[in-house]
Amino acid sequence: MDQGQHRRRKTWQRACHECDLLLLDAVAPPGQKLVCPRCNATLHRNPKNSVHYTAALSLTGLLLFVPAATLPLLHFSIFAFGGENTLFNGVMSLFDAGYYWLSSLVLFCSVIAPLAKFLLLTFICWGSAWALLDRPVGLAVRWYQHLKEWGMLDVYMLGVLVALVKMSDLGKMEVGPGLYCFAAMMLVANLTTLSFDQESIWSRMARRASGKVA
Amino acid sequence: MVADGAPGQREGGMKLPLKARARGMSCCLVCHQLVTMPAGGDPRHCPRCGARVHTRIDGSLMVTWALVITGTLLLLPANILPVMTVIYLGSGEPSTIISGVMQLYHAGLWGIALIVFVASIAVPVMKLLGLIILLIQIQLRVPLIPLQAMKLYRVVSGIGRWSLLDLFMISILVALVDMGAIAQVTAGPGSTAFATVVVVTMTAARSFDPRLIWDAYDERRAAVHEERDTRAQEQQRGAPGNA
Ligand SMILES: [Zn+2]
Ligand SMILES: [Zn+2]
Repeated sequence: MDQGQHRRRKTWQRACHECDLLLLDAVAPPGQKLVCPRCNATLHRNPKNSVHYTAALSLTGLLLFVPAATLPLLHFSIFAFGGENTLFNGVMSLFDAGYYWLSSLVLFCSVIAPLAKFLLLTFICWGSAWALLDRPVGLAVRWYQHLKEWGMLDVYMLGVLVALVKMSDLGKMEVGPGLYCFAAMMLVANLTTLSFDQESIWSRMARRASGKVA
Repeated sequence: MVADGAPGQREGGMKLPLKARARGMSCCLVCHQLVTMPAGGDPRHCPRCGARVHTRIDGSLMVTWALVITGTLLLLPANILPVMTVIYLGSGEPSTIISGVMQLYHAGLWGIALIVFVASIAVPVMKLLGLIILLIQIQLRVPLIPLQAMKLYRVVSGIGRWSLLDLFMISILVALVDMGAIAQVTAGPGSTAFATVVVVTMTAARSFDPRLIWDAYDERRAAVHEERDTRAQEQQRGAPGNA
């Protein structure tokens, strides 16, 4: 009885994180997803070539970040007067006006978190190839999971569009070159989130660890 | 596509799905590794990613209640105080979130008005209401169908980030429209309160543990089955005596 229970316990591979149901499958087959039979939570998505795609996409995102953060997103002018907007100067104006909390939140969600996501994913994907970096990579995955929902490039993009329409009757509104880079970066960020699968990182690390022992 | 259902656990003639807690195991919420928990319900560190693993999020209901109440209280100053002032050619007055939406609507931009309304009014209110429904449902054992509660939970935890839309727009306009007497946009104190509402509600959704929904449901079902079983036993015991 005791042995039988032990053997059975070994076959449990995963528990649903939303309803605690025990499951016999650990991961989804490549290109498919694993759904909890009880609560319909998506337990695992297994995109093909996750590590390679994520590495390439997050590197692209990092490259796009430079023009998106430095070039003006919008240009607004009334008569001869004009103003420009970059990712940073809005935060700066709010900070100067005394809105410290608001400006740091905007900075965090529109610059720091998205940038950190790209950096962490680049590090995770390249770093998981070296045994030396096992601990930092594990830490990076943890940080990534916590930061994930705070990167809000898509919300910021919608904010830009709302501002564009809202102000267009007051003066002349022009789209700056930075906005195209920003839109591309937003797209890449969403694709990166979709293609990243932490399970493939963990299994890559586990495979290497077992190979070294054998 | 769909995973094999876990075989049911038979206890006293009743069939309940086997949960990790019943086997002394738990799922790491960060890396989703199945972890064997130490006896006594103590938390431990996940062997794979190092995060702390609790069988259920520690003090989930209390923390969520506290954050929900804070958020609800902050919703008042966020909606009463002005979030932004647009001064154009020397005239202009502070506008709140609601009056901003009305202005957009009256300017004929009803599409944008709808977007701003949904993001900055409907989403925070729905989020707080949804969490309150979930909390009450668990604590007062209201028989809500768990799959519907889960749908509510997923909507509540997914939509929260979109309410930052208005604040992003303010930060864009403050930098963009800064021409002294001709046109200027400045932020108002309501925006600070609103930023706090968004952060508080997002943290509240994070601290809510959906597994509690299923715990309450299974407990309720177990109670019903137990009652039925004892009644059946009593009838069986009574039957031979009558015959
Ligand atoms: Zn589930
Ligand atoms: Zn873990």
